[in-house]
Amino acid sequence: MTSSLIVLAVAGILALWPSPAGAQPPADNCATCHLAIGDERLEKPAKDYPQDVHRAKGFGCVACHGGNEKEAGMEAMDPAKGYIGKPDRKQVVQVCARCHGDAAFMKRYNPSLRVDQAVEYATSVHGRKLREANDPKVAVCVSCHPAHSIRPPSDPTSSVHPLRVAETCGACHASATYMEGRRLPTDQLAKYRESVHGKAMTVNGDLSAPTCNDCHGNHGASPPGVSWVGNVCGQCHTVMVDLFGKSVHAKAFAEMGTPGCATCHDNHAIRQPSDAMLGLGGDAVCTTCHAAADSGGKTAVEMRGLIDALAARTEKARVVLDQAEHAGMEVSQAQFDLNGARDALIKARAAVHAFRVDAVKREVEPGLAISDKAHGRGVRALDELRFRRKGLGVSLVIILAVIAGLCMKIRQVDRRQASDADHHE
Amino acid sequence: MTHAIDADPGRRRFVNWFLGTSVGAFLAAVLYPVSRYLVPPEVGESTAGTVTLPLKPDDVKPNTGQIFKFGSRPGIIVRTASGELRAFSAVCTHLNCTVQYRADVSHIWCACHNGHYDLNGKNVEGPPPRPLDSFVVNVRGTQIVVSKGA
Repeated sequence: MTSSLIVLAVAGILALWPSPAGAQPPADNCATCHLAIGDERLEKPAKDYPQDVHRAKGFGCVACHGGNEKEAGMEAMDPAKGYIGKPDRKQVVQVCARCHGDAAFMKRYNPSLRVDQAVEYATSVHGRKLREANDPKVAVCVSCHPAHSIRPPSDPTSSVHPLRVAETCGACHASATYMEGRRLPTDQLAKYRESVHGKAMTVNGDLSAPTCNDCHGNHGASPPGVSWVGNVCGQCHTVMVDLFGKSVHAKAFAEMGTPGCATCHDNHAIRQPSDAMLGLGGDAVCTTCHAAADSGGKTAVEMRGLIDALAARTEKARVVLDQAEHAGMEVSQAQFDLNGARDALIKARAAVHAFRVDAVKREVEPGLAISDKAHGRGVRALDELRFRRKGLGVSLVIILAVIAGLCMKIRQVDRRQASDADHHE
Repeated sequence: MTHAIDADPGRRRFVNWFLGTSVGAFLAAVLYPVSRYLVPPEVGESTAGTVTLPLKPDDVKPNTGQIFKFGSRPGIIVRTASGELRAFSAVCTHLNCTVQYRADVSHIWCACHNGHYDLNGKNVEGPPPRPLDSFVVNVRGTQIVVSKGA
């Protein structure tokens, strides 16, 4: 510690030493000393900070740490001049909120940025545990926005860019060691990576796909809670949530104390939904509560039957139309119309969330009519193709027979002429 | 006469060879397209790059949209409130449902999962992950010609 202070003092004197040709001393004495100090722990902030968004906006070290950067040496770090050094965990939130909670101040730099982060944070599990138990492990601002290298969320290298949020949260929440002694599981990140949302984000590059903060909040991060998980999923899946909210399951799930959407779809390990989830088969989620004998089980089986019928007949029509198209028949109108059956199938799958046979049937029946009509047109096109092929075959046989006959006739005439010539001789 | 033919067997062989190869070429020219017709290609025919709509420009009123057939896939042509014609693929980028125009919100809308697109085709609400593919619209007299971009 003493040696560090000596080095710091020497570096401060060097910084004051008049430079050649009357050049001005650097404005930021903090960086000058920290870069010369020879201690990696103290050098790193000065090395990182030039890439920080706050530096780009013109803020120096003293904006957060206090003191006076114009002064060299230890005088710059006088507590009487507001120097606070490295803020402790509770101080971090206050230091950040000094600017980020001041709407008038923030407007000068980024008018669109929210200024309620500290208020939100106070409502989060992290904020409550920090305030009430001074928990040393809960996240504070710098846990997610690393001090001295903060970048805006739009920057792909930022720790809070949509592609990196899960890794940032997972730095703590996926670590069994770090989370030891807490009641939380640590497999959320692994499950999310394999989920339909995780794949959409990382494989398809869909930045609008949800990541941790879209369901849990970011500064107000907390579990969504049983009574309003539908509101979370409903941010995107509005049709299903509306239907679910009016269904028998909404009330039943609330009474049972089970979460709405997550009861069937899971929370972090949300799979790509499939028709196999419906009914009473091996992969059906309905079997968790229902059996073949009860009315819920019968409804599930009936809904599955309707959807399977539409899916099968739409696929059958598609195969026939593709076959006709590949054979050169004009079936584009029928293929265009078949899009209506596909729409009906997708709507029927959404209608399942009403958990009523009539709601599914209302979507399936028009789809069946469209797919049957399209199939009929495909079959007629293939019949027409077969007729044309047969006609072509018959025509070819006739043409070849005529050619063969002509050849034979020519040879016969040639032979006769040769024979006549021999007789004349 | 016969003597003259016998005296020139080379010319006769040439004529026979010429006729023989002509018959062979004729048969090949007939049978090859027939075989291609009977055994069609694996892939379907390429879809059209340009389509002339069965609509006149005046048929598309401001703040309305209409579905049209682009090959075997649906397209949507929209006239904005300011009178500009715009065309997009009508295939929702979420799960391929056919979108429609909603005059009440001046959006292109997918009824399957309540996805909204603005009149630039940009996904603005709901589950669609990306914008609609946009087409180029040209008005030639009383015709509307829609084509895929370069």
